[in-house]
Parts: sequence; structure tokens; C-alpha cells
Amino acid sequence: MKTVSLVGAASYLPRRIVENSFFQNGDEEQTHVMFRGVKLRHHVEADESAQMMIVQAARKLAERLNINLAKDVDILMTNVTSPDQPFTGCGADVGKALGCRPDWVVDLHNGGCVSFIQMMAQAQALMTCHGARTALLCNVQNAAGRHFAHPETRKLKQARIPGDGCGVAYLVASNESPVKTIVQRNYCEYAGDMAAVRADGTAWWEPSTACAYVDFNETKLAAVMGRANRIVPEVIREACRRADLPTGEIDTLITNQPNRIFMRNWREALQVPRDRHVSTFERHGNLFGAALPLCLEEAIDSGQLKKDSHLVLGGFAHAGDFAAAAVIHWQAPAATSNGWMLPVRSADFGTVDR
Amino acid sequence: MNPHLNVIDGLPGVHRIENCSKDKMTSLAMEMTHAVYGHDEVYGQYCPIQDYINCPAEKAFEYLADIHTLGEWTYSTRDFEPAGEDGLYVGMDRLGSATKIYVRVLANRQAMTVDYHCAWDQGKHLWMIYLMRVVPAELVLGKPGCVVTWTNCRHPNYDCNPYPETAPVGRKVWVGDMWPFFYAGHKIELDNLKHILEYRHANNCFSNGLPTTMGGSR
Repeated sequence: MKTVSLVGAASYLPRRIVENSFFQNGDEEQTHVMFRGVKLRHHVEADESAQMMIVQAARKLAERLNINLAKDVDILMTNVTSPDQPFTGCGADVGKALGCRPDWVVDLHNGGCVSFIQMMAQAQALMTCHGARTALLCNVQNAAGRHFAHPETRKLKQARIPGDGCGVAYLVASNESPVKTIVQRNYCEYAGDMAAVRADGTAWWEPSTACAYVDFNETKLAAVMGRANRIVPEVIREACRRADLPTGEIDTLITNQPNRIFMRNWREALQVPRDRHVSTFERHGNLFGAALPLCLEEAIDSGQLKKDSHLVLGGFAHAGDFAAAAVIHWQAPAATSNGWMLPVRSADFGTVDR
Repeated sequence: MNPHLNVIDGLPGVHRIENCSKDKMTSLAMEMTHAVYGHDEVYGQYCPIQDYINCPAEKAFEYLADIHTLGEWTYSTRDFEPAGEDGLYVGMDRLGSATKIYVRVLANRQAMTVDYHCAWDQGKHLWMIYLMRVVPAELVLGKPGCVVTWTNCRHPNYDCNPYPETAPVGRKVWVGDMWPFFYAGHKIELDNLKHILEYRHANNCFSNGLPTTMGGSR
């Protein structure tokens, strides 16, 4: 495989910030432990499409990294929890708005909360086999505002957990901040325990006035927790083993952030101290797939992610049908007081011949 | 001389001082000793728990051997009554809403073991087996009271209900779905047992096992 590097991330957070009092049961102490711990979250509003969120975040990233979006995006990948259109992803719409001319547009509809790692792996494969040099990876979580803000669905006990946001990141075929290992594991036997449902039982394509929301099979709560406790530390340990990195030497850990119990258990299993685990769960809730790139931006901007340190990404999707982890030897420049130290991207990499 | 020892020492995975030096044994022990063990490694196939209880072993044994006390110290099994044959009882497990639970208690006073042979929904095949043992704490901890150990083994039926036709209509939950919570659930119940037995011992109220005798509060 060609060496690829993760070199930067940026985010867009919806304007609307929602407090716990918005939900029917605003009392934190009365809430099931699975649904505790979020103080604030963002909700998308009608004009904040997935396309618009990605465009905003990508422009911020382009400015930071001095990317020429017209030339420097060979691969454009998106993963959106609640797609703008049911029949197609928004990758082409994003490319249109940003003026990109990608050779590959991939709208991933799987990988869930760790689709970011799956996108890294797919981009690396395209870079290795087809000579692509640059990839813009885009995650959007917009299920909170679209599905859990409705007067009916916001009564559900899980309604307070999701939060919306968009994270984008830039991957290049170079060894400047190398991805050392990526490990992905599919557990198809655990598929189907999470689904988008409507209160009246209709399918999403059928006419209905009932609202749709994401639901977990509650009788499987113990099983899902057991899986998460097992498969996430396993896949992270395997990625670390292949990178010759003892898990106790992880400098920065970023996982998906479904709830604080899972995150506590993963830290304990990996022996990673809390202050090395970057999470925005309290402020942003469960960001699904957007958590990884968004927390990466947070780790860079806060100065927590230091040059020449080991960054580990990991987590699981849906109710456990997929787990993935990656180890990155982070070399990208740390944030400076007035922004980033900017490499000149176009000059460094040129573009693929067309 | 035991004639089998040569064979035994040659069996793969057998380590005895005759075929495994002390250095090698120490190396093995160091390899096997981790700082952290995953929940699944410890409780994936077996669920062993134990605790000290400040109550005489005989009293604890008699309490456990009385099926009616299950309605007191377990989280959700209630209202046991004889089910006709050979020590079989039936009660409700409110964990599964309208679920019946069948139980036969096999107690051995000499060994102070109390095994609950149980099953949800039907009483013909009692495959959920809870193995409990009471040990005088004087022997193992050098103090009054007792130690209670409790083990469950993950029978394949926990993963798939073998008698779905006996389940109440519309029940979605299956007892085995909770296996990942068995450590927590049983620990909470063992804590119940400890608090109840220590209360009963301290207040000398063991006249019978029924909850109605407890301080007249119920």
C-alpha cells in the first residue's frame, strides 16, 4: 500500500444550540445512564443541508491548508447520516458547489460512526491502485435536527443524545504525517439491530404523517454493550500491534462518542488516561461519523495533538456490525496563535493528469 | 509409582514440576498475568462471583435452600408454588413480564451446596443452572461468617431459545440476551443476599424464610 498522510481537519457546526430543557425529560438524574452526559448539542435547521455543511467545512479546511479545491481533490468522499436525497449521495453536489473536479466521487452509506476510517482505507486503496494523490473526506451527522427535534420524537429517551455537525479532513499520498495502520472488521452477524423507524410502523418510502427516527433494539442493549466493550478495544489493539505501538503509549485517542460508559470502558481496556481521549460529547452529543474528524480538528486546534506523536482513531458502527481503527504518526504542524502554519498544497502535489 | 505419569507428562498443555522447570513456570505465569482483562475474557463463558457475608454458614445455607427466599433476595423472581412433581416449583420472573420460571432446588447440607436448576417457560428441561456454595469464613478467611460463591455456565440455550413455542405471546426479550449483564445482575442480587442475611443475623430473625417475618415491615 502507498503511504498516505492525514494532514488536517475542519468542521461546520449548525447555528442552533439546543439545551436539555428542550427535551421532555430535561432532568439529567432521571435519565437512563445510557442517555446521560450531554449538556448541549447542535441541531440542523431546514436550510442547513448536508451539502451546505460540507461546503462550509471544506472551505475552512482549504483556507487553512492552502488547498486549491479546483485542482487538489482527486477523491471526494461523503458519509451522511440523513441524506439530502434518498436516491443519491451529495458528493457531486458538493463538488459542484466547491468547483472540484474529482476523479472519484464516493458516497458511502455504511461504516456509520467509523465511516471516516473506512473512507481513509478506501482512499488509500485508490491512491495505491489508481494514482490518486489527494482526498477530501467528509462526514455529516444531521439526524438530530432532522429526526429528534420534532415535538413527538423529542419525547423519546434517546432524543437528547444525538447532536449534529460536519467534519472534513484531507488525506494525501505522501509520508509527511503517515497513517501507519488501518484495521477494519465486519461483523455481519450483528447487522439489523439498529434501524430508522416510524412510530406508525410505515416504511420510509410510504406515505405517513408519523416522524422517523433511529431506534435500537432495546432487548439487545446488553448484547450491544458487550459487543462494543469487546470489538472496539480488539480492533484498536490490533491496529496498535501492527504499528508496534503499545496501547499505553497512545498519545491521543479519538473514538466515536455514543455515550460516556462506552468511552470509559474503552479507555480502561486500553489503559489510556482520560486526558488523552479527545471527546466533545458534553458539548456536541453523539456526532455519529462526524465525531472523528471533528474531534481531530479539536485536538489540533487545542494544541493537544503534538507534532511527532501517536494519534489513534477507533470505534464501531451501528449496533456492532463494523469496527475500525487507525494509527497515525502525527507530524502535521501544530496550531499557531493566529492559525496554522500553511504548507503550499498545490505546489507540493500538483494534480493527476486528466 | 503411578504408571500413568509418563503419559500425563507427555500430554500437550500439562505442566508439572517433572516436565516444566520452575524458571519455565515463572515465565509462563508472567506471560499469563495481565494488568487488565476484558469483560468478555472474564465473564464470556462463565459467570463466577463471590462475597463474604457476616452470617453463620449454616444459617446462610438454610436460607438459600428454602426456595421461597428467592422472592426476597433475587431481583425479579416471585411467587413460587409447587408445580406438582418431585420438588418442582413455578413462579414468575418479572424480568420477562408474564414469564413463568420453573425451579428445582438441589441442596446438599454436608457440602453446603445449593444448586438451582431452572428454566423460563417450561419445567421439563431445567437448563439454567445456578451453582452456589457456602463456606465457613473461619476456614478460608479466619473470621466468623461465611463466603458464598455463585457460578453460572453459558449453556447454548442462552444464545437461542430452544422452546420458543412455550414463550408468552409477544414477549420480545430472552433471558440469554442479558448474558453480558449477568455479572452485574448477579452481583446486585448477591449484594441483596448479603444485606438481607446480615440484617437477619444481626436481628436474630431467622424463624422462617418468608419475607413477611422481616421486622413486620411488609
